[in-house]
Amino acid sequence: MELDERQVVVSQMDDEELQAALDEHGVGLTVGEARRIAELIGRDPTLVELHIFNVEWSEHCSYKSSRPSLKLLPTDAPNVILGPQEDAGIVFFTEHDGRRWGIVMAHESHNHPSQVLPVEGAATGVGGIVRDVDCMGARVFGTADPLRFGDPQGPNADRTRWIVSGVVDGIWQYGNALGVPNLGGDIYFDETFDDNCLVNVVALGVVAEDEIIHSAAPPEARDEPYVMILVGKPTDDSGFGGSAFASKMLNEEEQAEARGAVQVPDPFLKNVLAMRKANEAVRRRAREKGIVIGMKDIGGGGLACGSSEIAAAGGFGVDIDLAEVHTGLEGLLPETIMCAETQERYVLAVPEHFADEVLAIYNEDWDVPNVYVGACARVIGRYTEDGMYTVRLGDAIVTQAPVEAVTSGILYDREEQPREWTETEPEFEQPENLAETLLQVLGGPNVCSREYIYRAYDSEVQGNTILRPGEAGAGVTQPLEGSDAAVALSVDGNPRYGRIDPYWGGATAVAEAMRNVACVGAVPQALTDCLNYGNPEKPEQFWEFRQGVRGVADAANNLWLKGYENTPTPIISGNVSLYNESAGGTSVAPSAIIACVGTMPDYSKAVTAQFKHEGDAIYLLGARKNELGGSAYYHALGLGLGANVPQVEWEAERARIYAVTEAIAEGLVAACQDISDGGLAAALAEMCMGPFGRGSVGAEVEIGAIIGDLRPDVALFSESSGFVVEVCAGSEERFEALCAEHGVEAMRIGETDDDPELEIECGGEELLELSVQAMADEWLHALARMLQS
Amino acid sequence: MSPDKTPRVALIQFPGSNCEWETKRAAEATGIDCDVFRWNLDPEALSAYDGYIVGGGFSYQDRVRSGVVATKEPIVARMMEEIAKAGKPALGICNGAQVLVEAGLIPGIHTGNVEMALAPNRPDAANRIAGFCCRWVYLKLACAPERCRMTTRMQPGEVIPIPIAHGEGRFTTRDAKVLEGLRANDQIVFQYCDAEGNVVDRPDVNPNGAVDNIAGICSPEGNVLAMMPHPERASFLRQVPTDLGGPWAQRRREAWGDARGLDAPGPGRAIFDSMREALLAPQPA
Repeated sequence: MELDERQVVVSQMDDEELQAALDEHGVGLTVGEARRIAELIGRDPTLVELHIFNVEWSEHCSYKSSRPSLKLLPTDAPNVILGPQEDAGIVFFTEHDGRRWGIVMAHESHNHPSQVLPVEGAATGVGGIVRDVDCMGARVFGTADPLRFGDPQGPNADRTRWIVSGVVDGIWQYGNALGVPNLGGDIYFDETFDDNCLVNVVALGVVAEDEIIHSAAPPEARDEPYVMILVGKPTDDSGFGGSAFASKMLNEEEQAEARGAVQVPDPFLKNVLAMRKANEAVRRRAREKGIVIGMKDIGGGGLACGSSEIAAAGGFGVDIDLAEVHTGLEGLLPETIMCAETQERYVLAVPEHFADEVLAIYNEDWDVPNVYVGACARVIGRYTEDGMYTVRLGDAIVTQAPVEAVTSGILYDREEQPREWTETEPEFEQPENLAETLLQVLGGPNVCSREYIYRAYDSEVQGNTILRPGEAGAGVTQPLEGSDAAVALSVDGNPRYGRIDPYWGGATAVAEAMRNVACVGAVPQALTDCLNYGNPEKPEQFWEFRQGVRGVADAANNLWLKGYENTPTPIISGNVSLYNESAGGTSVAPSAIIACVGTMPDYSKAVTAQFKHEGDAIYLLGARKNELGGSAYYHALGLGLGANVPQVEWEAERARIYAVTEAIAEGLVAACQDISDGGLAAALAEMCMGPFGRGSVGAEVEIGAIIGDLRPDVALFSESSGFVVEVCAGSEERFEALCAEHGVEAMRIGETDDDPELEIECGGEELLELSVQAMADEWLHALARMLQS
Repeated sequence: MSPDKTPRVALIQFPGSNCEWETKRAAEATGIDCDVFRWNLDPEALSAYDGYIVGGGFSYQDRVRSGVVATKEPIVARMMEEIAKAGKPALGICNGAQVLVEAGLIPGIHTGNVEMALAPNRPDAANRIAGFCCRWVYLKLACAPERCRMTTRMQPGEVIPIPIAHGEGRFTTRDAKVLEGLRANDQIVFQYCDAEGNVVDRPDVNPNGAVDNIAGICSPEGNVLAMMPHPERASFLRQVPTDLGGPWAQRRREAWGDARGLDAPGPGRAIFDSMREALLAPQPA
């Protein structure tokens, strides 16, 4: 065997020549990195090797700027089954049928692809995350989509609307076809996203603990020969360079060129592989025969990443013959086959004697070659104990490097430089007509109903949905047949807080996600984070990232896992997306986007946000403070961002979350809503309206006793953390006592009545009075108007 | 077949089907044995079943038109033979309804001819962002319960809440005579209506703009039903949205905290209950 003659003779080139050679071959590595690669493998690298390291050392695959910071995040807790080292994390869910079950959770971004090709970008985002969860051996039972778009009414409104509509199309076309229900998501509009949208996606699955499949060649591969199977779409050139391009910022011209680097989705083939069909059949057969297999999704970085990581994770090398890889195009270069990000593919590690059976399950039972032209399962290599990552094509060795060197990446010590927030709190008079102001807030881009968008998502498929998007702070589903245990999911992260203060932006995202899960009655169990920030090579933008991580870490550490002291709510999976910048080089709003998964033993106890019956007491938990920085109120009044961003008081926050979940479990609560965008006033309005804007129960509220020195409008619209709770008539005393046990003051602020109206008074003086109809006209239809005009 | 026997149904699975398991669960809750039957299994095996369900999804990726490619599968031809020969019942839901229409089973005035279409949802201000629409709507039983073998357990004129989830669900035809025939034959089984049962052509009531608000049509013999809404997603009380309003949501609220109470039948269960009866007593032509 000869080494591929297409070597880049690093050792004999000066820096200028080397840079020219790298440019010529479209390799984005720096000169220094290319020399480091030559050192690692002990000779001049082949062109294929350079391309492989190019993707492996991209920010997207290697976390080279972010990894040291991520060590701050707490990832362990007594309920963690698998932390963030594989394709997805796993947290304990419930015991059922004498077995322990886990929730598999993954969280990714597809920001850059969605900016240049919104439909495909968003669709492949869904596709990738579903593969991540599926390949752990789980049944995928839900997704959620946190989305951040530019200003739909600003100078770039046309492009923003085009991106919104494309992203939504991509999500529904893929997710609905696949058959995974959408359990929620959140959407923020902010002008800092005009040139760079954020499209994050979360997926959940359920798996029995003893049926988890790891993303690694198993130890059994030391006892008998194991082979690598590649299954799925024939490899083509789609997505070649995808991870590298996700790791830098793009100007207009580059955006056009980068479209070729966006992957092409195929939910149809994925449906046959993932949705309780072919992959599950393979895993079942392996279990029946007592055979241990490994399985990994091929996503960012393509076959190079997937094949090297599944081997390295088990401590193995691998020897791959590229001639065995099924391709969809003639004459693909080996570097393209290795690095293209062709969708709907997996690699497996199976014993050689079992391989034919696996191939038959895919190729015959499930007819994969007839489902998609050129798709199939094939053996492409074997796992080895020599620790080498070897790739052959015909007679030539195109890659031969220590597998550890390929997968262990590279680290950069980035410089951080604090930036100052110079905006101050605005000075203004309380508006005379607060009813009018509340309507403006309810019709604002970040408060109005999302129904116009989530109606396009199938939230009913699989038949297990208990609370749908719009019904409550979190989506709730009952994913395990025969068990009453339920899972709640919420995603949060207010970019306008992050702009003022990235630390509190991160911390409030964690707190709000946990509150949203709590307000349906579920106990927060685990978090995932997607850290979307700017350019790590710019010290101020890297500082924003670092502050965001500190905020997330402090919140997760201090908002303890219920039932344990000094124990974090663990972060079990996550993703970092950097280089999210505008054309002018400013960062997007620093955006830690947090997903929280909660559990409840009995789905039937979940509560929605809509007021249920007249004559119930309405309580406020969480004192109002002068925290209008970044608020929907300031936005509605055109007052900029201000400065007083909401902060999290760890102990009080924790206590409220515990009190609310216990009160719901005891059956004291008829409806519950967390206080966030639009403050107390918007929370009350939403509870009157309900998801369909047709609520028939109204509220009479008096805030005089609870606002202290605050001006009434500040108290109504401040976004300080808290809950509004409808307590069933007759349960008031017990509710107050339960809150007191947790040190939480339950402030009774009013009661529900049969008049579908929201009336708020302060010290006996009317502040506002609005009918459900009037509020719903604004709140329900504002988004359609914004996106259509 | 004796009435205490458990009838067996084959739930046809195509590549792209995605409602197999909840449909199976809904059928089994009413006492039907339901096997998921993969597209490339031996079609002969289909004759052992008492009836068929073609469920929801995106069979063959909706290539050409929704449902059309699936109709070329040998198992569909075999299923059609069984339906014609033995009068076995068949239920098509959503994409399954599209398959039955494309196969010419529905409306089946001239069996085998494609006389209707399930066209893309009517574009209007309410669903301009995407053609796909997932929400709860109301259905009215538009024919006498005994007209269709899948509705015998419903009440005359009954109104039920039920979810839809489709991008191409607008029953339509170019041939006015087909529509006249459907009306004359009383083949229109379900119509979209408001919560009070009024059949009005408004976007909030008729979500896809179907002609005559049609949501479901049966064959002339009444043993085949094609419907766009999803009864399997409304088969248990727990599946009804809490805040929907109306008696079903009220019942759900009253069962708060009672998981077994929420296992009670939902508004779509009557369709499967009726199907069970039909399976036990096929009516050969």
